[in-house]
Amino acid sequence: MSLLQVKGLGKVYNTKLGMRQCIALKNVSFEVIEGEFVAIMGASGSGKTTLLNILASLDKPTTGDVLLDGTSFSSIADRDLSEFRRKHLGFVFQDFNLLDTFSIKDNILLPLVLMQTPVREMEERLLPIARQLGITQLLNKYPFEVSGGEKQRAAIARAVITDPRILLADEPTGALDSKASASLLGQLTDLHQIGKTIVMVTHSAMAASYASRVLFISDGVLFSQLYRGEEANRAFFDRIVATLSILGGGDIA
Amino acid sequence: MRKLFYFRLALSNVRRNKITYLPYLIATAVMSGVFLLISGLLFSKGLTNTPNGDTARMLFGFGLVVFALFTFSFMLYINNFLIKRRKKEFGLYGILGLDKRHVGRVLVWENTFVVGGGLVCGVAIALVFGRLLFLVLMKLIHAVPGSSFSIPLIAFGLMFALFFVVFLVTSVANIIRVHTASPIALLSSEKSGEKDKKGLLPLAILGLILLGGAYYFAWTTEVPGEALGIFFPLAIAVIIATYLLFLCGSIVILRLLRMKKSLYYQADHFVTISGMFHRMRQNARGLATICILCTMLVVTVSGTLSLYLGREQMTRGMYPFDAQVYVADTATKEEIVSYDTLLNQIAAQNHVTLTADKSKLITKLPEGEEYRRNNFVWEDSVFVEVPTLIFYSGSFRFDISGTDEDCLAFIQAVRDHYGDSFSETPSLIVSDFYTAREEGYGFYGGLLFLGAFFAVLFLAVAVLILYFKQVTEGYEDKERFEILQKVGMDDQQVKRTINAQVLWVFFLPLATTTLHMLFASKIMAQMLKTFMLYDWGMVLTCIGGTLLAFALLYFAIYRVTARTYYRIVRR
Repeated sequence: MSLLQVKGLGKVYNTKLGMRQCIALKNVSFEVIEGEFVAIMGASGSGKTTLLNILASLDKPTTGDVLLDGTSFSSIADRDLSEFRRKHLGFVFQDFNLLDTFSIKDNILLPLVLMQTPVREMEERLLPIARQLGITQLLNKYPFEVSGGEKQRAAIARAVITDPRILLADEPTGALDSKASASLLGQLTDLHQIGKTIVMVTHSAMAASYASRVLFISDGVLFSQLYRGEEANRAFFDRIVATLSILGGGDIA
Repeated sequence: MRKLFYFRLALSNVRRNKITYLPYLIATAVMSGVFLLISGLLFSKGLTNTPNGDTARMLFGFGLVVFALFTFSFMLYINNFLIKRRKKEFGLYGILGLDKRHVGRVLVWENTFVVGGGLVCGVAIALVFGRLLFLVLMKLIHAVPGSSFSIPLIAFGLMFALFFVVFLVTSVANIIRVHTASPIALLSSEKSGEKDKKGLLPLAILGLILLGGAYYFAWTTEVPGEALGIFFPLAIAVIIATYLLFLCGSIVILRLLRMKKSLYYQADHFVTISGMFHRMRQNARGLATICILCTMLVVTVSGTLSLYLGREQMTRGMYPFDAQVYVADTATKEEIVSYDTLLNQIAAQNHVTLTADKSKLITKLPEGEEYRRNNFVWEDSVFVEVPTLIFYSGSFRFDISGTDEDCLAFIQAVRDHYGDSFSETPSLIVSDFYTAREEGYGFYGGLLFLGAFFAVLFLAVAVLILYFKQVTEGYEDKERFEILQKVGMDDQQVKRTINAQVLWVFFLPLATTTLHMLFASKIMAQMLKTFMLYDWGMVLTCIGGTLLAFALLYFAIYRVTARTYYRIVRR
């Protein structure tokens, strides 16, 4: 069942006075089926963050459309967009984006509070998620007191607590060391295994090897994709690297 | 390095950071302008030549010293504030290879620009407004300006001296700060959060007790003499209590709110309350200072205004008889009688008549009236029978009827005739209502003028503190609100939250000031009674009026500052 449909997405930035045009995305189309873990891989400047921002409804495309569960993003009025985002999408950012005025617990509960969920239900939802991500003992601490890996796990908790249809991640391991990275990607895999749909944008082949499908993007165009099938991480990683070296783009680490 | 490098770097820095340097410049301009005006008036020929000018000058001298101290501390405060915000920039300079002493040089140049620019504006302000204010002052102290207003050189000299000292101290402070910081530390001095401090509750309770106690004593002091004595300690208590309550009490209250989950976990409250935590931690000191400044402002203005408006009444209270003429102890009865005749003669010469109404004397005081009238007569007063006037306890007492000028002329004639001290014989000392009233103009008028000046000063300082705080916060909050919008908070909610927080921050000082004034009004009225001012209705009107005018002004400031804040926070 097709959860996310991206049709002919294009994004053009005009610089001042329309002198120069920057084509960030060009005719990008793909589908994501429910329960998939998709990685979108590309080098810096390839347009992947732009793509993710549009998928997250934070930005509007110049051409084309995005459909989630059959609902077109362009059909949603601006003032309803926040609500839509809250209910159906969850994100994890590269720089965590936790609010320093809230404790970890409150940070995670934030989207639920915005949806005016009753307190008891919020706390009920919090505990299993915290346990799964291993952050139960951090709940009463503040972001400045915890490490990067822990912050990112809190961010994931925040993203999934609303039980979104799709989890979008923008370079989630970008600010983490290798150990924390591996741990985080393990968390995402666990989430995937209990049925969550994840779309992750990354420039790291290592991160991409955890996904079940990898899309390659360069200069705003999707030019290839790989399916993992039943392969182990390492073998998939080798294939990804091979594809990259043949097509000349992206980094390894 | 090229010759003009630091100069140009400094210049571009100032230009780039206009939004931060402009208020600093304005502060310098206002302070230097006001300082110049006060010292100009102090040393101006106009004031030295008028008889009432003496008292005014004395007041101004005192005011000037206080002002100088205040200016100095405030300039230092602003300077520190601005430098702290630029730590990251200095770290960057260091890493890019600009040597510490070179950075210091740039800072000195920047300081020169801003202070220099401020002084130029300040001089302009003084020259423009000086003439007008001089006339206002003359009117207030009831004097005729002997000459037109011009600011004497000594005033300029003082002002430049003061600001040169300010410039030196701030420059040195800046250089030291840059030297003692390491580039890496500066660069990574990002948001370090604040831990929940312990021990706030007892302090908050202490603050509450202090405040309650101060209010209680302020309200229940019935004896005016006592009121004067306890005012200062009470003021200190209120100041300490205000700081404690703002710093600790606010956090305690917020914590209580946070613990009430049903209240806290609602969309609007959630963000606002946690935002307020952060705000209060950052701003409690500044807000408390603003509150104190505003209270001082209202007290000063309403106090001096009451005194000025009630001066006639007060002087009248001190002189139940128009004039009291003291006679030397050694005077014989015949001499006393002769004085009586003499006084009448001089009176006739000056077209006034002297009367002495014996019914004005109160020989026995009704219960509780001791402090009301001071023309009571002690039981053991020595009365001397004189033809037309009343004489007891060593002095003549009588009323003078005639035009004001004639009365004053009469008084002067008596003084001229007899000399003014007991060292000459025969001699009389005159203490009268008319002279006192004239002097009153000088005193109370000068006081009011000074009060108004200080009010402007306090207000300017409060506004600037508020503005600086808001601007700093705007930049920090901008990021926070972007995150909130990404997590799914819609525009309306964000706007509501911003509104709520800005409103709280602004009106907490105002509300506290009003509360302080409510209780201060009673004790102020009592104190003014020692000045013989009994018209509580008028005092209350003065206080109420000042508070209202102040509130309106404060609201206007809120609008302007809030707009700047919104512009920074909302993309």
